[in-house]
Amino acid sequence: MDRMLFGTIALVAGAILTVLLPKNRVRVGVNLVSQAIACVCILSDTIPILFGGPELTGVLLWSFPVERIDLRIGAVGAFFLTFSLPMTFLGSVFATGYLAHDIRGPRHVGMHFALLSMVQLSYVIVYTVQNAFAFLVGWEIAALSAWLLVIWDSRNQKIRFAGFNYLVSTHLSLLFLVAGIMIMHGATNSFQFADFQTFLGQPSNARNIAFVLLMTSFGLKSAFFPFHTWLPRAHSAAPAHVSALMSGVIHKAGLFGMLKFILMVGEPELWMGWYLLAVSAMSAFMGVLYTITQRDIKRLLGYSSTENVGICGIGFGLGILGLATNRPILAALGFGGGILHIINHALFKCLLFYGAGSIYRFTHSIDLEKLGGLLKSMKWTGPLFLLGSLASAALPPFNGFLSEFLLYYGLVQPAPELGLGRMPMMLFAGVLAIVGGLSALSITRAFGLIFLGLPRDPHHVDAKAREHPCMIVPMVLHLIGILAIGLCPMLGLKLIEAPTRVLLSLSRTQPAELMTFVPLPLINSLTLISAIFVGVLVVLLVLRFALLPKSNRRHVTWGCGYTLPNTRMQYSGSSFSAPMVAVFRDLLKFLTREELPQGVFPKDGHYDTHCVDGVEQTMFKLLGNGEQVVGNVMRRLPEDTRFSFAIGLAGLLILVSLVAMK
Amino acid sequence: MSNFLLVFHLAIVFVAPIFVIGIVNRVKSLWAGRRGPRLYQTWFDLVRLLRKTPVYSQVTSWIFPIAPLVILATTITASLLGPIVPGYAPLGFAGDFVAFAYLLGLGKIFLMLSALDTGSAFEGMGASREATYSALAEPVFLLGLGTLAWAGGAHSFQDLVIPNGSWAIDAVLRVTFAGAMFVVLLIEAARVPADDPTTHLELTMVHEVMILDHSGPELAIVQYASAMKMTMLSGIIAAVLNPFSETSYPILAVLFSGAFIVLVAVCVGLIESLIARLRFRALPLFTFAAFLAVLTSLVLVTANQGEFH
Repeated sequence: MDRMLFGTIALVAGAILTVLLPKNRVRVGVNLVSQAIACVCILSDTIPILFGGPELTGVLLWSFPVERIDLRIGAVGAFFLTFSLPMTFLGSVFATGYLAHDIRGPRHVGMHFALLSMVQLSYVIVYTVQNAFAFLVGWEIAALSAWLLVIWDSRNQKIRFAGFNYLVSTHLSLLFLVAGIMIMHGATNSFQFADFQTFLGQPSNARNIAFVLLMTSFGLKSAFFPFHTWLPRAHSAAPAHVSALMSGVIHKAGLFGMLKFILMVGEPELWMGWYLLAVSAMSAFMGVLYTITQRDIKRLLGYSSTENVGICGIGFGLGILGLATNRPILAALGFGGGILHIINHALFKCLLFYGAGSIYRFTHSIDLEKLGGLLKSMKWTGPLFLLGSLASAALPPFNGFLSEFLLYYGLVQPAPELGLGRMPMMLFAGVLAIVGGLSALSITRAFGLIFLGLPRDPHHVDAKAREHPCMIVPMVLHLIGILAIGLCPMLGLKLIEAPTRVLLSLSRTQPAELMTFVPLPLINSLTLISAIFVGVLVVLLVLRFALLPKSNRRHVTWGCGYTLPNTRMQYSGSSFSAPMVAVFRDLLKFLTREELPQGVFPKDGHYDTHCVDGVEQTMFKLLGNGEQVVGNVMRRLPEDTRFSFAIGLAGLLILVSLVAMK
Repeated sequence: MSNFLLVFHLAIVFVAPIFVIGIVNRVKSLWAGRRGPRLYQTWFDLVRLLRKTPVYSQVTSWIFPIAPLVILATTITASLLGPIVPGYAPLGFAGDFVAFAYLLGLGKIFLMLSALDTGSAFEGMGASREATYSALAEPVFLLGLGTLAWAGGAHSFQDLVIPNGSWAIDAVLRVTFAGAMFVVLLIEAARVPADDPTTHLELTMVHEVMILDHSGPELAIVQYASAMKMTMLSGIIAAVLNPFSETSYPILAVLFSGAFIVLVAVCVGLIESLIARLRFRALPLFTFAAFLAVLTSLVLVTANQGEFH
């Protein structure tokens, strides 16, 4: 705990110095050093916990009204701290490359880096404190710093709007959180999580309401569908490293909240598992469906976050079902797969967002329909982005495959206790399969349009642009993480063993281990498959380039007889996704703007389609015309007798059921 | 015994693809009243292509020459997981069918990337279609195998296909799954009615249009891998319908599976001779029909769950 405290002090001192010191270079240097010190100190405390060490506890005395803050780093908190801190540090390193122009210029970048330190501080608070009040403070620090980081380019009105949108959504999330906490506070008259735990241990209506409220709050934080509307806007507005950190790391706090709540409940009820599974499956499916229509890379990656938190949530839902039916294997595979997917998603999503940032600095555009052929000029970003996208489509031998494998394996496990519930479980496996297929389409489209072929818009070719090493190094480090977990599944499972064990200990039967359900032969087989694939590939590469004819003979691409192709005739992003969009057209909303050439001497026309977020549109419509809706109801109430009877009956029904439930 | 099965498995995986394509072509020729090429003509075609010097498009990058090798590597690795004889696959582990599907998915992604690498609108169109139809086929495959896993109480590919439970339901399950798998095979292997490998118009192609710019060794490798995939999928159907188990009647099981793969190839040839390709708009419905079949068997298993694990 002492090292942890020292790290926190280093973080705060670093943030203050970053703001006060003169000269941008000095500020950034001091900030990075302080973050590095904090990471080393805190990780030296948390890593032993992950590998079987005892939990750390401490007490912080404070003035009224909090008085006493208990600190505890359990395995779950340690897991989140262990990946959040270094990844945010890498994000700050990336920022030095991404903001290189600003650092050289007159603008005070100290604020930006100080805010990154504050984000680090918020992790330390949220993942360790055992007091609801302090938890809310940490939550709010994260929300406000993320908002200020998003609006770094605040001169742009669109970015200010996106930031405001984010600010409102994140405070809606806070509202639900406060409501949930107040219910628990009302029942226990305390802010200590330990007291909440005794209250939540017993089934009650208040517990159910708290569950729904908190899940909504955490869902808003982690951008579950249909609470994701802030996310594509915020991600496309923020600087690349901020998008990366928000998507991969900061908003994982929502998932932490879910796990924390499950830990406090102890033995959850069956419906909680189904609820979470249904919401998560919907998130995964709708998230990936939106990715296939986006033309802005960062919006695309943002929607992909909704997909991936959905996949994590499917794991948690499965885990709850396992606990509720007392089948530890479901709990182990569900929680194990879900928790592993958290770190996997953080690794590949940060890598992809950094890639998007690097593309933006290189071409000044992140519009799929304008880019193309970057693989030849971006020697580093291209291959890194390719491997990152393969990982994000959960393909072997990369890390995403391992976590989805655990989830599939869990979903097809026999569970007689669930009875008819087995059928929806199979269908959830089917949802995971279609999500896999759609994300394969999505990454092929994104990588193919950005990096392959020829530039679609020659204005976006900058001959002088270079890839900044400070932007490449964090990407390479993330790739190493992806490959380490992908090629050596044992490493990934070791990382999540301790947090999974904590969740499994909630089970009624004797405490079980993750490793008994993912036995060594299975892990070895998974390793073997990756090894065989890589081995066969290497052998084939050697054979092909040693034995078979090579050539440098080049010719134009076969144009099917047409001899004057130009780069704009390449397949576009919207046409690539058109067949799939046609299948799911009822779920997507398109905005078409057209001005077709008319008359004898037509002027230039234009036609563009744009996929808009249906949920957001409906929400704005409701918010905009909300008073009208309420007004209509109010007017009909006295005029229409049948209507007022119906309302009265419904009200009575609710009252009676409330009394009956007491 | 397992050595014998291993040799059989590898022989089917590596040698049979040549004959499977040969049989399909022979059936089509006979139906059209021609004698048709030799059954192992594909072998000569592949060797000829392998000797040729490739010509690359000016637009392509390093993805292009590497992609065919990735495709072949994924197909070979996946073929070690899929059973041909019930109860035997060289590499079986719990949940291996997920690895099978995702490995093939990796191969498909590289095929689509190599198509996009040429910058051709036609090849992009093929890639887009391939991505759509194979994404729709994915849940059919995994849900079908998941249902069999539930019914049989097993988790690995090789044990899924061993009969378990009441024979009537078992038979219905197997036939439904085989039917759905056959649809998946037609889509994945780009055969009529999902795709027409012999059409002459680029606009109507799916698989063939993606390899317009492949030549020489690259073309040979892609074609061989695609034939291997088709053989693998017919092998899985053979294993599911195989009434002989690997332990008691190994020889009969091997003979049945071998004969069944030939039968599947004949069926593919007959379908190709008899009916026309579906319109692209109808293809999602075609996949959906297979999905409904799988869903029906899932309902059946749910209704009879007392009988299963």
